[in-house]
Amino acid sequence: MIDLIIFVTLLAVGYGFGQYAEKQHYASIRKRELYLRSIPVIASRIPPHGNPNYDSQLVSGSVVISVDYFKRFIAGLRNLVGGRVTSYEALLDRARREAILRVKREAKNLGAEMVFNIKLETASIHKGKGNTIGSVEVLAYGTALIPNSQ
Amino acid sequence: MEYSNPKIPEGINTSEESPLKEFFILTSGLVLVVVLVVSLVVYLVDIFADRIPFEWEKNIPVNMLLDDKANDDQPLYLQNVSKRIVNTMSLPDGMDITVHYINDDTVNAFATLGGHIVLFRGLLEKLKYEDELAMIISHEVAHIENRHPIHSASQALIVGLILSAITSSEDIVSGLVGSSSMLTMMSFSREYEYESDAKAVKTLISLYGHAEGARGLFNIFKRESEQSQPVEFLNTHPLTTNRILKAESIASQLRDNNTTDNVHHGMTPLPKEFINWLQYEASSDK
Repeated sequence: MIDLIIFVTLLAVGYGFGQYAEKQHYASIRKRELYLRSIPVIASRIPPHGNPNYDSQLVSGSVVISVDYFKRFIAGLRNLVGGRVTSYEALLDRARREAILRVKREAKNLGAEMVFNIKLETASIHKGKGNTIGSVEVLAYGTALIPNSQ
Repeated sequence: MEYSNPKIPEGINTSEESPLKEFFILTSGLVLVVVLVVSLVVYLVDIFADRIPFEWEKNIPVNMLLDDKANDDQPLYLQNVSKRIVNTMSLPDGMDITVHYINDDTVNAFATLGGHIVLFRGLLEKLKYEDELAMIISHEVAHIENRHPIHSASQALIVGLILSAITSSEDIVSGLVGSSSMLTMMSFSREYEYESDAKAVKTLISLYGHAEGARGLFNIFKRESEQSQPVEFLNTHPLTTNRILKAESIASQLRDNNTTDNVHHGMTPLPKEFINWLQYEASSDK
């Protein structure tokens, strides 16, 4: 009985806070993406215009987002029956976009025009307790092209 | 090559579907599967449990667990009531009943493997009439006669084994699987309670000519549980009101003479010595 109450409470807390945080985060992501649209991020390994009047510098952005209890529970159920783990898809989507935004922000602070050779890496942080706690880290890094002042 | 920087549309990597919908579909599906599987397993286990000879049950050392607290030095009166009930119920050959008494405040009594019945002082103290005591003992004897302890133990063992094989305790869904299987098994154990109540009411009627003891005992339970309102779904024992209704309908079927609604009609009070003995035990426990 008490287990059931704890379980339902955890689910409700996870759902409430998780969904609220996700909504807020997406709103903030969209706003900042619009703001930083002037800095394109491209995957090409070679700088697009080959112009020597640019300085280049490594820029990186890393973000760690935790899974909430509700998302983890849905994913646990999905493990039994298979199918799209939509609860984690949104989580990783947020993490990737946030990491790229941090790259762009750093680039903007450096006065860069664009970032090329963008790479994304993902790591899950769970310290051997795969199913009890879980966070995801997304690291984005690339080369910022900063117009040479000379 | 022209470079363009279009605005990326939303919803490519995410799903617009409400996570609650997914949650309800997956959860109800899992609960349904667990309930079906556990019911099937319980059904199969029951077939085997019926074939376990009572002699084997006696060899399970459950009384070892009771011995350190159980005091079998009971008053003659308690022994006589038990003896009378066991004789009335005409149990199969070899099914011996051992009544234990534990000097503890717990308001409870239970029957377990090997024909052992345990009565706690806490429950005995609540009683006023011999009929109520007889209702308790015959209810527990009925559990043993119907082999409920071996059924419950086998079900718990097999279902537990299966669950531990398919889920690990770290698994987040194991809680849901565990609770839904427990609730399924509880519904079976509630059936056992109704079955034992019915048999106990029959015994009371053949002993005393009426089943007022059942009503008296259930009224005691009702008073005890009045502080908290339990939900039947979450209890091994059925709600007292439901038990009263079922017991009354059985009693009215069996009753040849209609008794009045007087609750204490024709009940035999507990002898003074027995009440004194309980008081003495209570004082010696502190």
